[in-house]
Amino acid sequence: MDPDPKPFAELALDPELAVPVPFACSSAREVDPRRVPQCALSRVCGICGAGLGRPIAFLGSPDEAARNAFHFPPAHVNCAESLLAAYAGVDQAVLGQPEPLRDWALVTTAGFEFVRAGSEQVDRRPTFQPNSLLSERRVVRPLG
Amino acid sequence: MAISDVKEYTHLTPEEVDQIGRELDQIRADIEESRGAADAAYINRMIRIQRGLAAGGRAALAYGSWSKKGRRPAVVAGTAMLGLAKILENMEIGHNVMHGQWDWMNDPEIHSSNWEWDTAQPAEQWKHSHNYVHHQFTNVLGYDNDIGYGVLRMAREQRWHPVYLGQPIYNALLATLFQWGVALHDLDLERIRKGEKDPREMKRQLKQIGRKIRRQIGKDYLVYPALGGPGWLLTIKANAAANLARNLWSYMIIFCGHFPDGAMHFTEEEIQDETREEWYLRQILGAANFEGGPLLHILSGNLGFQIEHHLFPDLPSNRYAEISERVRALCEKYDIPYTTGPLHRQYGQALRTIMKLSLPNHLTKSDDPAPPEPPRDRRRKSDAERPARRTELGGWSRTSSHYAESDRGHN
Repeated sequence: MDPDPKPFAELALDPELAVPVPFACSSAREVDPRRVPQCALSRVCGICGAGLGRPIAFLGSPDEAARNAFHFPPAHVNCAESLLAAYAGVDQAVLGQPEPLRDWALVTTAGFEFVRAGSEQVDRRPTFQPNSLLSERRVVRPLG
Repeated sequence: MAISDVKEYTHLTPEEVDQIGRELDQIRADIEESRGAADAAYINRMIRIQRGLAAGGRAALAYGSWSKKGRRPAVVAGTAMLGLAKILENMEIGHNVMHGQWDWMNDPEIHSSNWEWDTAQPAEQWKHSHNYVHHQFTNVLGYDNDIGYGVLRMAREQRWHPVYLGQPIYNALLATLFQWGVALHDLDLERIRKGEKDPREMKRQLKQIGRKIRRQIGKDYLVYPALGGPGWLLTIKANAAANLARNLWSYMIIFCGHFPDGAMHFTEEEIQDETREEWYLRQILGAANFEGGPLLHILSGNLGFQIEHHLFPDLPSNRYAEISERVRALCEKYDIPYTTGPLHRQYGQALRTIMKLSLPNHLTKSDDPAPPEPPRDRRRKSDAERPARRTELGGWSRTSSHYAESDRGHN
């Protein structure tokens, strides 16, 4: 699949939730599993599809941050912040999360490991493990 | 159908496949834990040496251009230094930096997001065609565009066509013009031909390539020759020779990575629902190493440890030598093929495959080695138990009966 990067403002809107659908997603709710290794290995932003910058941002649940294993692909810091702002108030499970999140974790790192799922793992999604954490913050969103 | 049903692996029990995965995970963890200042010093030293060679080469060429005295040795030395600098930059530095091997350093320059290398293909496109397409779909027929680079027939299961009779010539052209071939690699000419390529993305990529080519040609064939004054033509020739040396060298190293005897191809079916452990197995069997001293490994970007590079593409290249000792021991322990040999033999085998596959299958024999006989009887499936596979591109079998069938059906 081609990268086909688009600026955040030009991302297609989800027909159901009317929020921008990131490059790595098939809808606002679902991550496209084919895009995940593409973003990881091509080193492109999971939100806009353009080449990553430095630092690299990861967006996920506080649990994912605590386990240092994110499911949503790496992103530009600006894209991650814009996405959180755009999704504020959405009272649904989005971006591949199994349930609606009130708190999001946004971490920045210089690098990451892309870890494919092992045979013993129930959750067969690959994970991203930041290997040189630079910052971590919680973003509390007002749910609609 | 899974990778572990491939003949070379059928002697492994599922528990052994899992155990191999755990042992490889441990190797990764050990390297990550010990990654630090010594590794950072290594890549910084490589960059200093490379820049020194490039500056020295340019200075020698400038001297040779402006001065008649000692012109010949200056030009020869300058060309050699420049060629070495380009090889080092492309192979040990650019390739590995863009894999993210040094991202953990958080260096503003030595980072996969920033590095732009001294060759015609834009870094962004290389990260897609190589890091993603090649490393994710390693040796999967119909997916991995590195199998013959869309020009050569490199697997017996690829349908033969009279156009492949010219393969020895295409191969020579590919080697000579390698950086230009690689520059067009991510465009995917096959998809353009079939009308499958998004025109907007194609236009964007062509613009990127155009910018990069202008920059490369401007640097090597305009700016530096202009600085060379009266010896401008000499500088142009020297730059062309350095680029040619880099092209031939990088072509040879890359072809040694996946085309010597023993490096397998796979099918789409074999990678469905692939676990990490099975992905590891595919990398081991799809890649081939070559042997040599430390200098040879540095000049080849440590791709003589192609198996280790495919297992751990984002671990620092200077650690592949120590990783290879553990991976090789693991392969011996579990009777898994570990393909390696001297550089001349590995390239000779790749070249022989290129020559042989220019002809229809029925005129040649396969050189693929038989899978090792496991010392214990712990097979999972017999050939008869496995489902039949497609015989054209995308279908793959190692059995001789399959080859015989292919010969009859395709040629």
